[in-house]
Amino acid sequence: MAAVTGTVAPPAGPERDTRVRRTLYVVGGGLAALVFVVPLLLALVRAGQPGDVVVAAPDGRFLDLSWVNFRLILDQPEIWRGIVNSVVVSVATAVLTAVLATLAGYGFAKFGFRGRGVLFGMVLVTLMVPFQAILTPLYLQMNAMRLTDSLLGLVLFYTTVNLPFCVFVMRNAFESVPGEIEDSAHVDGAGTLRMIASVLRPLVLPGAATAALYAFLASWTEFLGALTFLTDSSLYTLPVSLVNLQQGAYGQVDFGLLAAGSVVAMIPCVVLYVALQRYYVAGLASGSVKG
Amino acid sequence: MELTRRQLLALLGAGGAAAALGGCARDLAAADVGAPGFGDGAGGTVEMWCRSDTVNGVQAVVDAFHAAQDRVRVRLTPIQNGQYVTKVATAIRGGRVPDVIDIDDIYSTMFAFRDVFTDLTPLVEDLALGDALSPGHLALATKDGRHYGVPFLGDFSVLFCNTELFERAGLDVDEHTASFDGILEAARAITALDDDTYGWSFPGNASGALGFTVQPHVWATGTDLIAGEIGDQRGDVAGNEALRRTLDLERTLWDEQLVPPGCFADDASRWSADYVAGRLGMFPGGYGVVAPNASPELLDRSRVVLLPGPDGGRAFFDGGDNLCMPAGGKNPEGAAELIRFAVSLEQQARMPDGFYSPVRSDVVTPDFEAEHPLVTPTLASLDSGYAPTTLAYNLIYNQQDGPWLRMFRRAVFDGEVDAAMDEAQTTYDRILRQAEA
Amino acid sequence: MSAPAVTRPADAAPARTTGPRRPARRHGTLTHPARTGLLLVAPAVAFVVVFVLVPLVSAVGISFTNLPLIGPWRFIGLENYASVLTDPAFWRAVGYTLLYTAIVTLPILALGYALAVVVRSNRRGATALRTIFFVPYVVGLTTLSFLMLLEAQPNSGMVNVVLKALGITDGTTAWLVDGPLATGLLCAMVIWAVSGLTMVLLMSGMQGIPREVYESAEIDGASWWVRERSITIPMLRRTIAMTVVLSVIGSLLAFTQFYILTQGGPGSDTTTVVMAIYRRAFVQLQLGAATAMSLVLVVITGLVTAAQFWLLRERS
Repeated sequence: MAAVTGTVAPPAGPERDTRVRRTLYVVGGGLAALVFVVPLLLALVRAGQPGDVVVAAPDGRFLDLSWVNFRLILDQPEIWRGIVNSVVVSVATAVLTAVLATLAGYGFAKFGFRGRGVLFGMVLVTLMVPFQAILTPLYLQMNAMRLTDSLLGLVLFYTTVNLPFCVFVMRNAFESVPGEIEDSAHVDGAGTLRMIASVLRPLVLPGAATAALYAFLASWTEFLGALTFLTDSSLYTLPVSLVNLQQGAYGQVDFGLLAAGSVVAMIPCVVLYVALQRYYVAGLASGSVKG
Repeated sequence: MELTRRQLLALLGAGGAAAALGGCARDLAAADVGAPGFGDGAGGTVEMWCRSDTVNGVQAVVDAFHAAQDRVRVRLTPIQNGQYVTKVATAIRGGRVPDVIDIDDIYSTMFAFRDVFTDLTPLVEDLALGDALSPGHLALATKDGRHYGVPFLGDFSVLFCNTELFERAGLDVDEHTASFDGILEAARAITALDDDTYGWSFPGNASGALGFTVQPHVWATGTDLIAGEIGDQRGDVAGNEALRRTLDLERTLWDEQLVPPGCFADDASRWSADYVAGRLGMFPGGYGVVAPNASPELLDRSRVVLLPGPDGGRAFFDGGDNLCMPAGGKNPEGAAELIRFAVSLEQQARMPDGFYSPVRSDVVTPDFEAEHPLVTPTLASLDSGYAPTTLAYNLIYNQQDGPWLRMFRRAVFDGEVDAAMDEAQTTYDRILRQAEA
Repeated sequence: MSAPAVTRPADAAPARTTGPRRPARRHGTLTHPARTGLLLVAPAVAFVVVFVLVPLVSAVGISFTNLPLIGPWRFIGLENYASVLTDPAFWRAVGYTLLYTAIVTLPILALGYALAVVVRSNRRGATALRTIFFVPYVVGLTTLSFLMLLEAQPNSGMVNVVLKALGITDGTTAWLVDGPLATGLLCAMVIWAVSGLTMVLLMSGMQGIPREVYESAEIDGASWWVRERSITIPMLRRTIAMTVVLSVIGSLLAFTQFYILTQGGPGSDTTTVVMAIYRRAFVQLQLGAATAMSLVLVVITGLVTAAQFWLLRERS
């Protein structure tokens, strides 16, 4: 995986620098950066505007920012409960996915057993069957198992959705671990779980971080499943709460509140991504580059 | 541990069948509301759902219920209108139902027909109100003569008129709202008064609100857009003369700029804004969208009439909510007590405080009329109220991608009235056929 | 699910590397007993069986019934398929989804490629730019849709304010209530938001191309574009195929951004297939028919994927 971590190895590329190219790079890159950053900065501004300013043509009040919308969030149980539920579900999904994917990745990479190919194939088949396409039978299945209207059910569902990719990443991570390291640990009498926990941890941590972040981001913004599987409004996740806010379930739509809620939804993604991007980008790429 | 492929497939198939059947196996038993002794000693917590549109009215009743006794507590959960049917259905499917739901009366039909609500006929008969209890509400929750819901609050579509603007334009409310010609004449005169006055308005991108306010023009002639009984329904759209003239009226109002330009995109979030600002002569809407936002002065200047047909006749959308008890609720006795309380004369007389109409006409007294002149006209002619009894109301009228909104927008904004109606006929027929499958 | 989660490479990337790279050990060893291996993979396999394979198999059965969300059901044979396959609304949704996919796919690839060219170098700031370009994808289409909702409002939304300032419109455009306008705006948002993923995947591929390959070309005096066309693109053929498949599948399954921004309207102008399935199942309450539609979608997705692999297959 290290080979694709562009920040470590000096990246190759067809360019030999010339003044023209450098200028192009600075101007083009700068403009493109503006296109990508400005809309997100605008979102921050909107979150600071009172609702009536958000829906008014820009005037002198455009930059009169305040925390009023965020205080409104605290006053609006439907929204902060959504935030709490989303945190619970996303963190639990991230942890569960990373643990299961690590175990399975280790098993598929380092152990020989009959049916290994079939089972690994089964996990990967999931990639070909997007859950949107089996929404109705999945709903019935979850309902029959009493997993609808349950945050636990949502966690199990999100874990399943994210598992195949994460198992794949973890298998790659374990396969790149030299057998000698394991062998010497075995000589010391390390059991399987201790092997993962202490001996192999530094080597597979990047992969596990990728899996966890991947699962967190996916479940943090997931919408269709949450909309379908949750009926009890006290269990809604943030995206569902925001849709209800937007559609007026909690009274007159306050667009300032909606902007602030969206920014709250945005921040953890950006922070976690920036903090873990080295692992994350490398992990994402490992699928396609090794393919 | 080794599985052959065949064993694996067999396992999956068995699991799949079990899942499909298991999902259907959860039967929810309905309480027998008419049983002797039912309701004695009700207590505990009642789980109640209401739709977000009517949360004010429901909350007021719940508060009064709490004040009147301390045995039964109510936990109220508002749910977004567009998701209401989905949420009620998935709750029933999931086997965790609320004890009582406040449901848009037009949706009570599809649930009543699927036998998932408690039979509340004994409760309705106890009231002994006959036709004084909104017959339109009740009909929507009635199957084979049994009532699966009790009328609760009225949300009737009417025409609000700003009498000050009418007077300034030298118009008479009764005369100029009796037919389409009168409306058009009044709209032109009022729009001409000032730069920012308009004669009329509609929420041009809100399917449900348009269904609420536009259909009564057609019903006033005694026809509907849906023909036949449940089980054998089809659209009566193409060639429906009353409908054609109604769409034509709205198109003319739009073409001649007699409605504010914001109507084009309004999804009902700014529905009554122009009227409460005093800029609008006529506003097809409901008491619930005007009264909470309007100044007392404007309400004093307002008059309410029913919505006219092309050449006369009047009608209104008999909207609002029924109270129903999904079968399998944990506290049917508490729920029944809450329902009795909610339809009592005292609570009904207070409905206008939550900006709704009562559903029983016996609340109208001289005092009531003097205090709520904008609510009385519909109660005085409850039999002019109507709402279509169909399993497909939601799909046709309340979904943003339904045929009703599409027809309205194409007819009014693109001016293709007949083509829009022909197109809608096909879609109405298909949806009605599917809904009854 | 929201498209970003879908378009993450989970969906198809690893599929071709299923085969183990080393000769499979059929039996355990002393340090790696077979039973331990099975135990390690069992939980993950169980999740997949319970939440994917069983529903998938039962879907076939359900599609032969009239199963409603509530109420009694019976077998009706192929009636659902007859009804779905002759339903113009379903085919309109399919057509619209294909149109949407056709519109966004190439721009996502082109923009992603261009961004990858910018960030693949080791110039100062390339890493920061890479971070910036990828942020919208990380934030996700769900959140971005809420923000777009604000900016698409007549008069107040920034889309209209900017267009008015440029003198292109009068700033009162109601984007979301007009089918073509809403589609255009949605496509622009999606292209902007997800091209970051394409960028990351292509960039990694580009960085894997040995420098020497380019150096020999430079001695021959090949121009930038010639080198790009004759070296980079051919060597990235499989990576490009992968990114295209990912974005196409994501587009075919689009739901969230439409649900939030247009709810499928006006009329049914912006109703996607997944939205049509959702409505049939959870608004119309007809699970049987909705499941038949789902299986049709599985087939369509499979066909499109297969067709793309065939078109982009390696020339042997």
